[in-house]
Amino acid sequence: MLRLYLTCIRNTLEAAMCLQNFPCQEVERHNKPEVELKTSPELLLNSVVICRNEAEKCLIETSINSLRISLKVKQADELENILTKKFLRFLSMRAEAFQVLRRKPVQGYDISFLITNYHCEEMQKQRLIDFIVQFMEDIDKEISELKLSVNTRGRLVATEFLKQFI
Amino acid sequence: MPRHRQKHNMACFQRESPALKEILLRLYRAEKPMELDHHLYEFGSVEYHVQASASIPDNTYLSIATPLLYQDVVLSSGLPRYTLEMVKGISPDVIEIIEPPKEGYKLTLRLKYSRIPRNKGGVKMIASISSVQGVILSSQLKDMLMNVNSLEVSQGMYRPVKLIYHPREPFFVIKQPEKITAVFPMRFKEDTDVIIATAFFQELMDIGSSKAFVKAPHCIWSPIPPAELRGEPIEDLSTNGGFVSFDITGRHVEGKRLDKTVWNLLNFYAFVKYHVKSTRGFIQRRMRTRLESLVEVLYNAGIKDEHHIKKKNRGPKGVRKLLNFSKSKLLKKRYNFINKIKRIRSRIKIHWFSRFRKRWLNFSRFSSLTRYEKLN
Repeated sequence: MLRLYLTCIRNTLEAAMCLQNFPCQEVERHNKPEVELKTSPELLLNSVVICRNEAEKCLIETSINSLRISLKVKQADELENILTKKFLRFLSMRAEAFQVLRRKPVQGYDISFLITNYHCEEMQKQRLIDFIVQFMEDIDKEISELKLSVNTRGRLVATEFLKQFI
Repeated sequence: MPRHRQKHNMACFQRESPALKEILLRLYRAEKPMELDHHLYEFGSVEYHVQASASIPDNTYLSIATPLLYQDVVLSSGLPRYTLEMVKGISPDVIEIIEPPKEGYKLTLRLKYSRIPRNKGGVKMIASISSVQGVILSSQLKDMLMNVNSLEVSQGMYRPVKLIYHPREPFFVIKQPEKITAVFPMRFKEDTDVIIATAFFQELMDIGSSKAFVKAPHCIWSPIPPAELRGEPIEDLSTNGGFVSFDITGRHVEGKRLDKTVWNLLNFYAFVKYHVKSTRGFIQRRMRTRLESLVEVLYNAGIKDEHHIKKKNRGPKGVRKLLNFSKSKLLKKRYNFINKIKRIRSRIKIHWFSRFRKRWLNFSRFSSLTRYEKLN
């Protein structure tokens, strides 16, 4: 099920990541990502929402010179909820290390990427897509591992505490 | 501290007051008797007063003011007898209880330093004396727990008793037939702490109900106050972390286990808070490690691309060698050569070096095109 979801996202990104340099139509000598401004409807393509289930979805918004990908990660319980929030906030605060990561996610989503034509010039398109898909897999895996580690720690500490009474 | 001791003390925090221990050790190790008048404050509500006289070295006085576990009981005649016996029991030869205590203090002790042995045992004794505040507080709970099997039925037997060990963190002890239940209302400042602590309490319940821990006190966590606490003030029952209850039976208070059980119950709050703090630190460290591996994937997307292009458009070998000589490398070579020349022509004079220089490092004069040389 995850494979199908990721394959769908990959195919959509391959189609959407056709970006070119396009100077701003409203301000001279400015070059802005049109997907963020949304001032010129003729420069925007239809956005696509790919849902795995009610809790997991991916929003892909495209424009002539930029592409925005927003992800909603699954959170089964409260512990996963706080771990996801903490981890993704941690990454967002260090967005400059990722270059394509947005500092603030789009409303209703947990994390967002902004890819511009400049990124496509500096990096290979295929590798960028591989990075996004790999990132989604790694986040899921990391949250599960973190949850397991926290529960294991709790168990060990509880064991040591109760041993004092025996 | 040896590792096995570390493990043993994991659930038990330090009993002795570090500041008081340091002052008492200073007096113990002093070569000559010294004059001392020192006030110490801890946890906002505990006060120590240490007085020592240089003229009478055996008259060192230690006064303690501490809020008691029992806040409702009015103690007109000072500390309970059982508490005084426990304090005297720390070191009967060294400690003498002064009656009445100094004004403003609950207890005054006279310490006879001359009776403290001058070896490792002496240091241990000083450490035990520094834990007097812990002894006073735990003695009250010990007194309650020791009567767990008593069949005496008195009015208000099932009335919860509110005890305060840490400020603003009261817990309740409820006497029941053949057991005593200790109930801890848990409060945390942040939602993250609540969730981490709740996960811990659920593990505690799971482990406590397993076969391996049948002998440990039965542990229950519930988000709502237990029925025994009905009627207590609302401010004591409003929590965000639920209520943790331990059932203490006669088995847990036999012999040496009494001291451990009392100390574990008194420090339960501190234990949970420490676990929550450590878990948060662990999550932070883990996220940092993961960040590096995630970023590496993206950098490979850029770097591998450059290598790939370079490989394709390499050109002939000779041209590649020339291209390898970048501008920065040329400048570096020139700089190193200039520095070499400067070192040879250095103005620092070494006595024997001048002879060496004259003989081996003579620079020949070059004729200049602009200079006129007379031909003979």
